[in-house]
Amino acid sequence: MAPTVLICDDAIFMRTMVGDILQQAGFEIVGEAETGAQAVEKYKQLKPDLVTMDIVMPDMGGIDAVRAITKFDPDAKVVMCSAMGQQALVVEAIQAGAKDFVVKPFQPSRVLEAVQRVLG
Amino acid sequence: MTIDPQRYAELFRTESREQLSAINRNLLLLEQGGDDQEALGAVFRAVHTFKGMCATMGYHAVAEFAHECESLLDRVRRGEQSHTPELMDALFAAADALEGSLEDVSDTSGTTPAMTQALQRLHDVAGGSSTSEFRAMRLSGGALVEVADSDPLEGPGVIVRVRQRADTMLPGVRAYLAVTKARALGEVAAMSPTEDLLREATTPQAFALRLLTEATPEAIEAAIRSAGDVEHVEVDASGHTRRTTRATIEVVAEGEEPSRAPSASAANAPAMRPTRHVRIDLSRLDTLMNLIGELVITRGRLLQLSAGIGDAALDDAMQQASRLIADLQAEIITSRMVPVWQVFDRFPRLVRDAARQVGKDVNFVIEGKDIELDRSLLDEIGEPLVHLLRNAIDHGIETPEARAAAGKPRAGRLVLSAARDRSAVLIRVSDDGRGVDRAKVLAKAKAAGIVDAGVKALDDEQLLRCIAQPGFSTADAVSGLSGRGVGVDAVHTKVRVLGGHVEMKSVEGQGTTMTLRVPVTLAIVRALLARTGNERYALPLTHVRETLEYADGTVQQVRGKDVLVLRDEVLPLLDLREVVRQGGEPETGREIVVIERGERRSGLVVDELIGQQDIVVKQFDAPRDGLALFSGATILADGAPALIVDVGSLFQGN
Repeated sequence: MAPTVLICDDAIFMRTMVGDILQQAGFEIVGEAETGAQAVEKYKQLKPDLVTMDIVMPDMGGIDAVRAITKFDPDAKVVMCSAMGQQALVVEAIQAGAKDFVVKPFQPSRVLEAVQRVLG
Repeated sequence: MTIDPQRYAELFRTESREQLSAINRNLLLLEQGGDDQEALGAVFRAVHTFKGMCATMGYHAVAEFAHECESLLDRVRRGEQSHTPELMDALFAAADALEGSLEDVSDTSGTTPAMTQALQRLHDVAGGSSTSEFRAMRLSGGALVEVADSDPLEGPGVIVRVRQRADTMLPGVRAYLAVTKARALGEVAAMSPTEDLLREATTPQAFALRLLTEATPEAIEAAIRSAGDVEHVEVDASGHTRRTTRATIEVVAEGEEPSRAPSASAANAPAMRPTRHVRIDLSRLDTLMNLIGELVITRGRLLQLSAGIGDAALDDAMQQASRLIADLQAEIITSRMVPVWQVFDRFPRLVRDAARQVGKDVNFVIEGKDIELDRSLLDEIGEPLVHLLRNAIDHGIETPEARAAAGKPRAGRLVLSAARDRSAVLIRVSDDGRGVDRAKVLAKAKAAGIVDAGVKALDDEQLLRCIAQPGFSTADAVSGLSGRGVGVDAVHTKVRVLGGHVEMKSVEGQGTTMTLRVPVTLAIVRALLARTGNERYALPLTHVRETLEYADGTVQQVRGKDVLVLRDEVLPLLDLREVVRQGGEPETGREIVVIERGERRSGLVVDELIGQQDIVVKQFDAPRDGLALFSGATILADGAPALIVDVGSLFQGN
C-alpha cells in the first residue's frame, strides 16, 4: 500500500511540483491544502503518513499549522518547504513540530532524502 | 530525476499571473489606506510565492530581484521602513518590472532594464541605512569569527564532531536539527561554535558538541545523520578531556538575512477564487463546445426524422436523448463561464496609472464583478473596455480644477459595471465627467460630410455613430492615451463581431455612459427561425420580443409607410424580404416578429415562422461595408445553411 501524503502550499504551481516528485517516488497524494487552516482540517480528516508544508500561507501560516497538527497528533510527520533566506522561520517550524525541511527550488533527490529520513 | 521546467511552463504562467494580480491589487489597497496590514501581508506573500516559483523554474535573475522586493516589504512590515508615496511608486515600478520579466523568460539570465531601474528605486527608497546594510551583507571573502576563549569541549561526556555536506541548504537549520536530535539522547553540555551562532550560519559548517548521554556511539551517529546533510560524524566516547584547536567559523553573509517576519498573517486573503478547482486546457473547452454544437444540430435532425417515423418507443428514447443533450449543453456552457473580475482585475491599476498620466483624480468603482461570461467572449471584451476606460479618463473626466470650478467633487467617478439582462450581459462604463460635446461632434460630422448640413442636433445614437467613424476625433491634441479616433471605432467593431452592440448616453456637463451588450455565451444561441422567400434566417431570441400574425388590423399606414400598431404603441415596420433584397411577391399569411434593441422596438415582417432552435453560431469576417445585416451563419437541422440576422443593424436605418 502506497504511503499517503498531504501537500500544503498556497501556490498550485508548487503543489504540482512537489506532488509530481512524490508521486513518481510512489506516494499517493490524498489531499492538498491552500491555507494553514485547511492543512490542519485535512490532516485530521485524512491522517496522511506524511505532510509537506509551505511556511508562508494565508489564513494561518505553515508554522502555526504544524503546531496545531503536532498537538493533534504528536507523531505527525511534517516536512517544511521553505524558500532561501528563512532560516529562523524553519527553526521555528522545527520547534513547532516539523521533522525535516526542504528548500525551494526543489531538487527531487533532496525531497526524497528528506522524506525517507522522516518516514524511516 | 530532474525537474524539467518546460513541463510546468503553462502552469507557471497562469499561477504567476495570479500572484502578480494579487500584488497589484493589494498595492492599490495599500496606497489608498496607508496602514493596511492585511494588504501588506498579501503583497509580501505574493512576492514570496512568485519568487519561489521563479527559482524553481530556473529564472534566477527574476527570483533574486523578487527577493530584493520581498526584503523591502519585510522591512515595511516590521515598521523599519516608512510608508511614503515614493515607496509606493517604487513598489509599483517593481511590480511592473516583475510582470515585464515574465514576457521574456526565454532569456533566463536576463536582468531586464526595468528590473535594474526598479531595483535602484527600491534601494533609493530604502535609504541610507538599508544601503549600508546591503553593503554589510556583501562581505568580501569570509569574515572569521572567533569563538569563546575557554574551550567548551573540555569536560565529561561524549564529543561529537560533525561536518556538513558542502551543498547543504540552510546549514544553520540543519545544524539545529542535528543538535535537537542529539538532545533527544541526553544533554548537550556545550557546543562549538555556540548554538546561537551556529543556527545563523549560512554556509556548511563543521561543529562539535559535548553530549552527556548513555547512548551508544552508533545510536548517536544514527541520530545525527537523521538530521540530514551530514558529510561526516565522529563520536569520541573515550572520556578524555581533549584540547581542541579553537574552532573558527566562517561567516559569509550572502545577502540573505534570516527573516524574522511574523510566521502567519491572520489576515484572510480576499476570496477571489473558489477553493476547489481544476485546471483545464483551454482548447479542451473549445473542443467540447464544438462537439456539443454539432450534437445539438444532429439532435435536431434526429428529432425531425423520428417524428416522420412515428414510432412510440423511438419517440420516447429521442425525448430522453434530447433532454440529456440539453443538460449536457448547459453543463458545458456553464463550465466555460468565468466571472468578469478575471479581466476586470487589472483595470484598477490601469485606471490609476492612466489618471496619473493626465493629471486627473479618479475614483474607480467596479460593480458586478461576479457576473459570468463565456470565457472566449471575456477574453475579447478586455481590449474594448480598456479603450472605453481610457477615453473616459482622457476626454470624459475633467481636471480637478475644472471640476471644482464646475461645482463637482475634485475626484471624478468612473464606474465599470456588469449585469445580466436575460441572455445578455450589459457592461457599462460610466463617468461623471463633461459629457460629449454634441455641438463639436455635429460640426465635425457636417464638415466630414457624414451628417446632412441641415441637421440641428444629434441624438445619442447618431452621436455614437459619428464618433465611431474610423478616424473621427474631436480631440485638439492627440494625447498619449487616446484621442486618435481609433478607440470607439475599434470597440464598436469588436463588440459587433461578438454578436453584441454598443450604446451611448451622454449629458453635457454630467457625464457619459457607454453600454456594451454582449450575449452571455458565444457559440450556441437560441434563435427564432424565419423564412422569407426560399431563404431561411435566424433571429437571436435575445432580440425577439414577441411574434404575431400579419393582420390588417395591426398594420396601418402612416405617411405612406407601413407601421405596426401594437397595443398602445406605433412601431416602424420592416419587411425582411426588402431588407435582404430578395425581390419577388409577398406571400399571404405572413407573420410579424417584434424585434428590439435596447429600448427600441420594431416589427419585422417575414413569410413564415418556422420555430425556435438552438443554433451554433459560426462567425465570419465581414468586410466593413458588406454583410452589415448579418452577424454570422449557422447550419440548420436539415443541413442547410442560414444567415443570422444582426438585429441591431436593422435599427440603424431609421
